[in-house]
Amino acid sequence: MTASPARLTVNAVPVDLTPVPVDERLLDTVRWRLGLKGTKDGCRTGDCGACTVLIDGRSVLSCLTLTHEFAGASVTTVEGLEGDPTAARVRAAFEMEGALQCGYCTPGFVVALTSLLKELGAEASAEELTEDLGGNLCRCTGYTAIVRAVRRVHEEMP
Amino acid sequence: MTFTVRPDADAKLRGQVAFATDLSVPGMLWGALVPAPVARGRIRSIDLGPARAIDGAVAIGPADLARWLPSAIGDAERPVFPTDRIQYHSQPLAAVAAPTRELARRAARAVRVDVEPLPPIEEIEGFDPAHPGPDHPEVIAHVLARHGDLDAAFGSADFVLSETYRTAGVCQVALEPHACIAEIRGEVWHVTTSTQTPFGTREDLASMLGLPEERIVVEGTWVGGGFGGKGAPLVEPYALLLARASDRPVCLALSYREEFQLGRTSLPSIVRIESAVKGGRITGRRAHWRLDAGASLPGRDFTTGYAIGFILGPYRIPAIEMEGYAFRTNKPPLGPHRAPMAPQCVFAEESHMDHLAARLGVDPVAFRRSHVWKEGDRTHLGQKVGPFGLDRCLERAGALAATWRKDAAPNTGVAMGVGFWSTVTGAGGEARLVLSPTELKIIEGEREIGSGSVIRGIVAVAETVLGISRDRVRVDYHDTRSAPFDSGVFGSRTLAALGQAVQKAALVLRDELGKRLSVPADSVRLTEENGELVAVSGRHRALIRSLLTETELAAGGLTSEGRHYGTSGEIDTARIVEGTFYPYTDFTGAAHVAMVKVDPETGAVRVMRYAAFQDAGKIVDLPTAQGSIEGGVAMGLGTALTEETTWAEDGHLSNAGLLDYRIPTLGEIPPIEVHFEEGFSGAGPYGAKGLGEPPIIPVPATVGNAIFAASGAAMTEIPMTPERVARALKLL
Repeated sequence: MTASPARLTVNAVPVDLTPVPVDERLLDTVRWRLGLKGTKDGCRTGDCGACTVLIDGRSVLSCLTLTHEFAGASVTTVEGLEGDPTAARVRAAFEMEGALQCGYCTPGFVVALTSLLKELGAEASAEELTEDLGGNLCRCTGYTAIVRAVRRVHEEMP
Repeated sequence: MTFTVRPDADAKLRGQVAFATDLSVPGMLWGALVPAPVARGRIRSIDLGPARAIDGAVAIGPADLARWLPSAIGDAERPVFPTDRIQYHSQPLAAVAAPTRELARRAARAVRVDVEPLPPIEEIEGFDPAHPGPDHPEVIAHVLARHGDLDAAFGSADFVLSETYRTAGVCQVALEPHACIAEIRGEVWHVTTSTQTPFGTREDLASMLGLPEERIVVEGTWVGGGFGGKGAPLVEPYALLLARASDRPVCLALSYREEFQLGRTSLPSIVRIESAVKGGRITGRRAHWRLDAGASLPGRDFTTGYAIGFILGPYRIPAIEMEGYAFRTNKPPLGPHRAPMAPQCVFAEESHMDHLAARLGVDPVAFRRSHVWKEGDRTHLGQKVGPFGLDRCLERAGALAATWRKDAAPNTGVAMGVGFWSTVTGAGGEARLVLSPTELKIIEGEREIGSGSVIRGIVAVAETVLGISRDRVRVDYHDTRSAPFDSGVFGSRTLAALGQAVQKAALVLRDELGKRLSVPADSVRLTEENGELVAVSGRHRALIRSLLTETELAAGGLTSEGRHYGTSGEIDTARIVEGTFYPYTDFTGAAHVAMVKVDPETGAVRVMRYAAFQDAGKIVDLPTAQGSIEGGVAMGLGTALTEETTWAEDGHLSNAGLLDYRIPTLGEIPPIEVHFEEGFSGAGPYGAKGLGEPPIIPVPATVGNAIFAASGAAMTEIPMTPERVARALKLL
């Protein structure tokens, strides 16, 4: 398996990675090379959404993304949303609605919902936002509290 | 009750909580398992040479185990590696470790396994269970109980309804796969792992590895979902042995595929249930249960002897018989899945109730209420029923169902189902509290698994006793060397049983503070002032700092301990013909209502509305309780509609992944109403009852009954996939 250097911007910091095998997943790059463990390793087959990150602002499943595919792109993980006002509203809504239990799926939901809110903005209905979160699985909450959190954050949109 | 934010919420939302899959240790190797290529067969040879040839890799097999730990083969029921016979597909035959995950997987693939395949034994029907033939599975548990005059009941009945139900195997599907890091530290075999039971895991590891318990240390991490799947060792023995072989720390995380293949899940069962009815009352009932127990594990009779108690329903029936068989097949070992086998038994029993009511032409709610147990009644095994709010839940659920029925559109049905559970409060535990000048610490071995029972449940108990603010209470996690013993987070027992130990320890603290302040203990409350804790009683106020001795201050605070070792109820052993049945300790009822829409052309079912009425004793923390019910109902909807492990003829699991094994997704869950019935006290602190498992139990039956109401299709198999509903509707 060949490996070659890769350059990414992760959470607004340029990083030069070398050497990265051609089949390395972005999930493993952020978790094991950069130590950003907030992105969770779940199914590794693109079915659970726990590994959701943003690439140039759009949410992707980092377990199905090869690091080399997006050389030069800007990657944002849950850690990179620390100062983000939209993410802060998402976190507050999840807290107030009790929309998390074990927390394994939670960073994926925060990243995915933050990106949806930015992408669709106030034009999307709460139902559309909820539908678009269908790729994120949660086994603990039964989603009901998550749906309440989506409604709350939607209502409180500036 | 005011809303409270979970103390772990912020860190979890920021991705700052480290799960077992997130841990790493310098110099760590990655482990991988070598799977059995067949479900049944004889091992001719295992050649680890090609794996060992990979740079930096180590490999271990049964021979190494026998050499290092000759006593490890003592636990024949739970071999770390099989030496001769393969018991199930993908059973670990050897293990490897290498410097990267990829190298470890490559090393695992390089191991040469030569086996003589044999046809797997999977069929649990079509033969006399008392006399299985050579190609039939072995009976590993048999229970039989009888009471009353069955012949008279069935002989004089107006009619007898006899039905057979089938239930599929379901997986826990915690999103976090099993993972751990093992390290040998001198004489001590240390493992940091995602577990619901640090002490139980230590005990099991000692048995599996043939080591004394003192040489094993289990340190719990945050658990990314348990649901019963993380109650016993799975990855730990392999990681420890690899650490021993390599002299390096070893991380072993299952792939999600292995999570399905090896996880201790529930397995298929068949229930035959028949009722004799006379004058509108059930006069006799027989139930016969066959359970696929897979390769089985120690304690296997528990599932049979416990779950079968739910199979006749929480109803007064004068003559009963229940018989259960568990069979050893070539599937992975049966394990506990949230309320082990209860939703399955209850699916049969509660569907049968609606079918009986339909045959009688009576209201299913009234029919149930005329039979349901109340406090003081005797169970089928003669045990006295304690405070039990099921009738009240039925009454309230029935009223709601009547309202919903008015809104029911064509092809839409509204129906109910009930379930009951017994919180496993008999499993004991101990608590240690440390009151320092600034905070109260609860020393614990087990980590929060998500339900909130540790981080909110037992914390709320301490808060209530001492009147202390939640911000000043912290759960301090220790490993099994220094944490007080507790049975673990399972059986809906954490708040109900460990909570009692915490309550006792908090009362001891309060008594001590009362003495030191020279005031009545029950008048003492803790408040804070400038960051310091203050004990208050009427006009008396004293800084905790001023109430502690120098020795206590040096030790970090005033320590108190509480123990709870419960007793369970007594059953009438005269009713037991064979096997071990387990009594209940706490009677917890639930009545659910569903509105479903059935597509008359495809058999597709959509759940439109759902409501759960839960007999809860005292609610100690409302958001936690509500989250438990919502999550349990959603999980039950998966059991009801989509979740099913499918086994190929050669015995391998053919849907080992989240694409083919479908758990509910966000858009499929209807609005879920949660109603608590607090009038019937449980054994837990302040009368709390355990709520982890009860909410999943009635769901498949409730949905099945709503399908029956909507379409007339009497469902007798779960999951109720469109194909099965279409068959029941005679569309196929």
